[in-house]
Amino acid sequence: MSVQERIDINIFKVVFRAIAHSDNLEIMADHLTQLLVAALEIKGCTIFALNPESEELEALASFGMSMSYVNKGPVLKDKSIAESSSSKPIVIRDVQKSDSLQYPEEAKKEGIGAIVSIPIKFYGKVIGALRLYHQAVWDISDEDVDSLLVLAENIGLAMTYTRVLKALRTIKYTVDDIHGLWMLETE
Amino acid sequence: MAIKKILLAYNFTRLDQKAVDFAINAFSHLKDTEITILNAYTPLPEIETVDTSITGKLKSSMSYLTQQIAQRETELNEVKQMLLLGGFGEGRIRTEFRPRKRDIASEIIESAVTNSYDVIILNRKHARVTRFFSGSVSHKVVMTLKDTAVCIVS
Repeated sequence: MSVQERIDINIFKVVFRAIAHSDNLEIMADHLTQLLVAALEIKGCTIFALNPESEELEALASFGMSMSYVNKGPVLKDKSIAESSSSKPIVIRDVQKSDSLQYPEEAKKEGIGAIVSIPIKFYGKVIGALRLYHQAVWDISDEDVDSLLVLAENIGLAMTYTRVLKALRTIKYTVDDIHGLWMLETE
Repeated sequence: MAIKKILLAYNFTRLDQKAVDFAINAFSHLKDTEITILNAYTPLPEIETVDTSITGKLKSSMSYLTQQIAQRETELNEVKQMLLLGGFGEGRIRTEFRPRKRDIASEIIESAVTNSYDVIILNRKHARVTRFFSGSVSHKVVMTLKDTAVCIVS
């Protein structure tokens, strides 16, 4: 049986316009999760940023999931979904039949039927993950997984751009703070 | 300075629950205080009006998204009940559930200035990498507000 593709150019248009119209990463990520839930008719979606020191995935934005599930505990990069590599897409088409989840009971209690995890990379390095949660068993097509990889690459770009912007602003505020002192010394 | 108005920024995390406990322990016994629980949520994205198959589907899914946001408002009222049980009187608790236009720190600062809060209660989680992307809320609030006590629960 062939698997129907859900992601087409029209979904890409809507999603990328949402990215382009946001000047704030949190709002952009929130809109992205909302749009993916609506467009793919899934239960929920979370965008994680990877903490390279603790190997923990920290939720940057989440939609559709209960707060008790979002706050269930630390989500570890290599344990949350114990597959061979966290740098490749992982599809758990049926949570009930999977033994590779870090929180299997919480997932069942939440009513999650399937999970798709897409790495968010920048220059080949994993900096986060895009996770989609379906309420039922989900046979996602390879083409849809490929489309989600393209989307995740763009999220990676937006995250990195925002991080650089934050660093530059911090430098600007610091320079502004001491600017007056410099002026006094030169007078 | 007699404390009159407290703002509790709340976003449904474990640390937010700690902030609620702190507010109860520190302020509920003071009868001349009133507390406002603030949650600024991200409003739904605008979908273009040009009809395509996907915009039609998205618009029909928007009611589900709206329900999800309404659920958060219900959960915020549950926090109000916690404060009631913790000793704050009925007339001393308000909730502010509103769409955000900017980053969370700016929303808190605007609310603090507009409503002249005397105390702001925030939480701060250590070593969060998301701070590099979205900035530190507590740092921005502390650096911006003047003549306001800011309590950071960590």
